[in-house]
Amino acid sequence: MMLDFSAITPYLHMLLRGASITIQASFLSLLCGSILGILVGAVRVAPFAPLRALAATYIYIIRGTPLLIQLFLIYFGLPSLGLNLPAFTAGVIGLTINSSGYVGEIVRGGIEAVPKGQWEASKVLGLSYFHTMRFIILPQAIRNMLPAIGNEFVTLIKESSLLSTLAITELTMVGQQVRSVTYASFETFIIVGIIYLVMTSITSFALQYIEKKWTVA
Amino acid sequence: MEYNIGTYREVRGVSNNSNDISSSRIPALEVRDLRKSFGSVSVLEGISLSVREGEVLSVIGPSGSGKSTLARCVCRLEEIDGGKILLYGDRIDNARHANRDIARLVGMIFQQFNLFPHLSVLENITLSPVRILGIPPKEAEERAMALLQRVGLAEKKHARPNELSGGQRQRVAIARALATNPKIMLFDEPTSALDPELVGEVLDVIADLARSGMTMMIITHEMLFAKEVSDRVLFMDAGKILEQGPPEAIFTSPKVPRTQLFLQRMLAHVGKELVQSSSEEGRCTNDA
Repeated sequence: MMLDFSAITPYLHMLLRGASITIQASFLSLLCGSILGILVGAVRVAPFAPLRALAATYIYIIRGTPLLIQLFLIYFGLPSLGLNLPAFTAGVIGLTINSSGYVGEIVRGGIEAVPKGQWEASKVLGLSYFHTMRFIILPQAIRNMLPAIGNEFVTLIKESSLLSTLAITELTMVGQQVRSVTYASFETFIIVGIIYLVMTSITSFALQYIEKKWTVA
Repeated sequence: MEYNIGTYREVRGVSNNSNDISSSRIPALEVRDLRKSFGSVSVLEGISLSVREGEVLSVIGPSGSGKSTLARCVCRLEEIDGGKILLYGDRIDNARHANRDIARLVGMIFQQFNLFPHLSVLENITLSPVRILGIPPKEAEERAMALLQRVGLAEKKHARPNELSGGQRQRVAIARALATNPKIMLFDEPTSALDPELVGEVLDVIADLARSGMTMMIITHEMLFAKEVSDRVLFMDAGKILEQGPPEAIFTSPKVPRTQLFLQRMLAHVGKELVQSSSEEGRCTNDA
C-alpha cells in the first residue's frame, strides 16, 4: 500500500484551523486549570483539616472519573439544570476542572517537598501562613513542580482531542471530517498526529527551557 | 577593633555582681514549669528558668535532653503542654500574639540555617522587615547592609545561599534574625551542622553579639565556647534542669554526678583550638 498525501493537501488549511482551536482550548484550560489547580493544591495542604478533606475529595473524584464523562456531564448534563453552555465553553470548563485536579495534586507534592525548616524560619521571622506560602513556599514549590507540570500540559493538549465528542471543530474533529471527504484515513490521521506532536514538543521544550532557567537562578 | 573573649568575661563579671538590683527588674525571658511531650514521650518535665536582660545563658546536655525543644517552645515553634513562657513579663505561650509580635521579641538561629534558597542574601535579610514589619525598603536595606558588615559578609549581598559555605550561611542567618531587632536571641546548636574548620567564624560572630549586650540563650555542644562566652551555664538531662551556675563552677566543679560524667566525656573530645581559632585565617571564604 502506498501513502498518498496529495488528497489531503487541499484540506490542510482546515486541519490547521482545527489545530488553532485545539491550541486555544488547550491554552485557556491550561491557564485556568493551573490557577484553579494551585488553589486546590494550596487548600489541600491548608492548616484547617475540613478544607484539606474538601480538596482531597475534589482531587479524588476528578482523578477517579474519565474526562469524557466529565465533559458529557457539563455539556449534556447541565442543560437539564437549565444551564446551556456553548460547546467550546463547556469543553474548556471540563478540561480546566479536570486539569485542576491533577495540577492540585502536583502542587501538593511540590509544597510538601519544601523542607519543614523553611516554614519554621518564616514563622520565627514573623511571617503569617499566607505570607509564608506566597513569599517562601510557593516560589520553591513551583520549581519542584515544573517537570510534572510539563507532563500535565502535554497530557492536556492530547486529551483536548476528546472535545471532538462535543462537536467542537478542533483538530481531531476536523480530521474526522477530512477523512470522511477524502477517504484517506491513514494519511489524514498521520498528519493529525504530526500536528499534535509538534504542539506537544513545543510545549515540552518551552517548559524545559523555563525549568533550566529557574533552577540555575 | 580586636576583642578577646577573656576581657569580655571580666567586664561582664562586674555586672554579675549587681544581681540584687537587676533581680528587681522584669527578666527578659522567664519560663515557669514548662512541660512538653511528643505523644507519650515527655520531653520537658517542668522546666523553670529566667534570663536577665543582657545575660548570656548556655544550655548544655546530652542529645535528647530537651534543650532544642526548650528553645523551640520559647520561639513558639512547638506548642507547650503546661507552664508559662514570659518575655518581659508578657505571656507568649498562647495564640494571642501574631507571629509578627514574636519576631520583634525573639530571634532564632537553627542548626540547619534555614536560609531561603530562592532569595539572595540581602533579600533573605530584608524580607521580614519590609513585608512584615513595614519598614521602608531603602531603610531595611541599609540596616541589612550594616548587619552584613557586622557578620563580615557585605560583599556577598547578591549571592544565593547555595553559593556560600556553611559558616557563611549561618552568619547570614544571624544577620537575618537580627534584622527584626529582637530583644533576645536563641541559638539552637548553631555550629553542629558545620565542618569543624568553619565553626570558629560563627562562634566569633556570636561572641561579638554577646559583647554587644544582647540577651541570649545558646544551646550548644561547644563546651569551651560556652565556658568563655556565658554568664551562666545550665545543664539539662532527660527533660529536667539538673544544675546551673556560673561557667567556672559548672565546668570546674560540677556538683551533680550526671553533669560530671557528661563534661568528662565532652571535654575529652574537645580540642582547645576551637575557641582560639578566632584569628582571621579561621575565616574560610571558599564557595562550597
